[in-house]
Amino acid sequence: MDSPLTLETLFNIGPVPISAPVVVSWVIILALGLFAWLATRRLSLTPSKTQTVLELLATTVDGQIRDTMNRDPAPFRALIGTIFLFVLVANWTSLIPAVEPPTAHLETDAALALVVFVATIAYGIANRGIKGYLATFAEPSWVMIPLNLVEQITRTFSLIVRLFGNVMSGVFVVGIVLSLAGLFVPIPLMALDLLTGAVQAYIFAVLATVFIGAAAGETSGDAPSEKENKPS
Amino acid sequence: MTIDWWTLGLQTVNLLILIWILARYLFRPVARIIAERQAATHAALDEARAAREEAEAARATAKTETAEIARIRAELLSRAQEDAKHERAHLLETARAEAEKARAETRAELARLREAQKEMVAEEAGALAADIAGRLVGRLPDTVKIDGFMDGLVGAVSELPEATRTGIGAAGPVSLRAARALTGDERTVLETRLADLLGRTVTLEIEEAPELIAGLELDARHAIVRNHFRADLDRIKSELANHD
Repeated sequence: MDSPLTLETLFNIGPVPISAPVVVSWVIILALGLFAWLATRRLSLTPSKTQTVLELLATTVDGQIRDTMNRDPAPFRALIGTIFLFVLVANWTSLIPAVEPPTAHLETDAALALVVFVATIAYGIANRGIKGYLATFAEPSWVMIPLNLVEQITRTFSLIVRLFGNVMSGVFVVGIVLSLAGLFVPIPLMALDLLTGAVQAYIFAVLATVFIGAAAGETSGDAPSEKENKPS
Repeated sequence: MTIDWWTLGLQTVNLLILIWILARYLFRPVARIIAERQAATHAALDEARAAREEAEAARATAKTETAEIARIRAELLSRAQEDAKHERAHLLETARAEAEKARAETRAELARLREAQKEMVAEEAGALAADIAGRLVGRLPDTVKIDGFMDGLVGAVSELPEATRTGIGAAGPVSLRAARALTGDERTVLETRLADLLGRTVTLEIEEAPELIAGLELDARHAIVRNHFRADLDRIKSELANHD
């Protein structure tokens, strides 16, 4: 078994080496995009089963954002929802034989964490202004500035390492057991990976929500209720 | 451990593309349809609320109208009862007045009948008395019918006022009614006594009047001097009638 810390280049596009996680990610993007396009072509006020599931997903994401940020969820819905869906689907690709989840590699997790990191800064500046956002580093006291700066980095790294460690370890354990015991023995572990993958997706999305919400700050009033939400 | 920066960059781009795709084709349409359904639901709720408020208003109006109708009904009933009371009192008063009037008329009729009956009885009594007196006098001698009354007649003439008395016989014979025809002596005696009383000659023009029963009646132009049973009976009858 190859080390999970090394990447094998499948092919090159010009000078750009294309690795397996990138290809799997493209497949995931294609599948999710196609599914989204097909599922939302004929939305109606009387929902089908698929539409009901999609609405449940959207309202759940909205509820999570509203509960965490105490804000209108519309500006954050696409980012948080996409992170959750991508991590979930990527984690669950471990069920497909010969496919290694992209999240089992540091580059994918780092890309996710990088997007969250940039989004945190962007939403912070957008909602508070540059001075206001920078002032948050001096809260509750200017003494805390170094610690807050370090925290920005460490919590991003914690996102990377948490997701990478959990998914990679699951894949690694299943691979070892499969090589030692036989074909059907790792099935319980793979079922456990399903749960772990869902939990990790949820944790990653919630932590992203918390970080962005902390940077953006709370609104002066209460968060708008669901009936006041506008489509983004 | 090494980081493949190409993979990191490609995955970042992949993630951004996926965010755009899902925002464009998943979250935005789903959020829009949810918002549309919520808007439709709110519209239906608003309509239901408006309908309920309308129904409440209609119910309040109906309640007010019912109360107004009840008030008018009570007022009409009260007025009708008051009118009936007045009408009853009026009818009672009218009936009482009519009864009183009928009673008064009956009482007057009874009084009139009683009076008429009394008069009739008096008439009958007078007739009976005259008949009795006539029968009784008829058993007496004829002289009694005149002799016994001459003194009374002369006495009555003497009690007349001087002016009346002076006029008696001054212009001619004096009319005298008698229960029977006077004899010559009786006529002479009476003329003599009147002449003595009046101081001049008196000539009598005698008329027989059996209805006088007994007695004489002198017509003195300005006065009539009655001294006979018929006058007495009439007086008695009158007194009896007045006495009642």
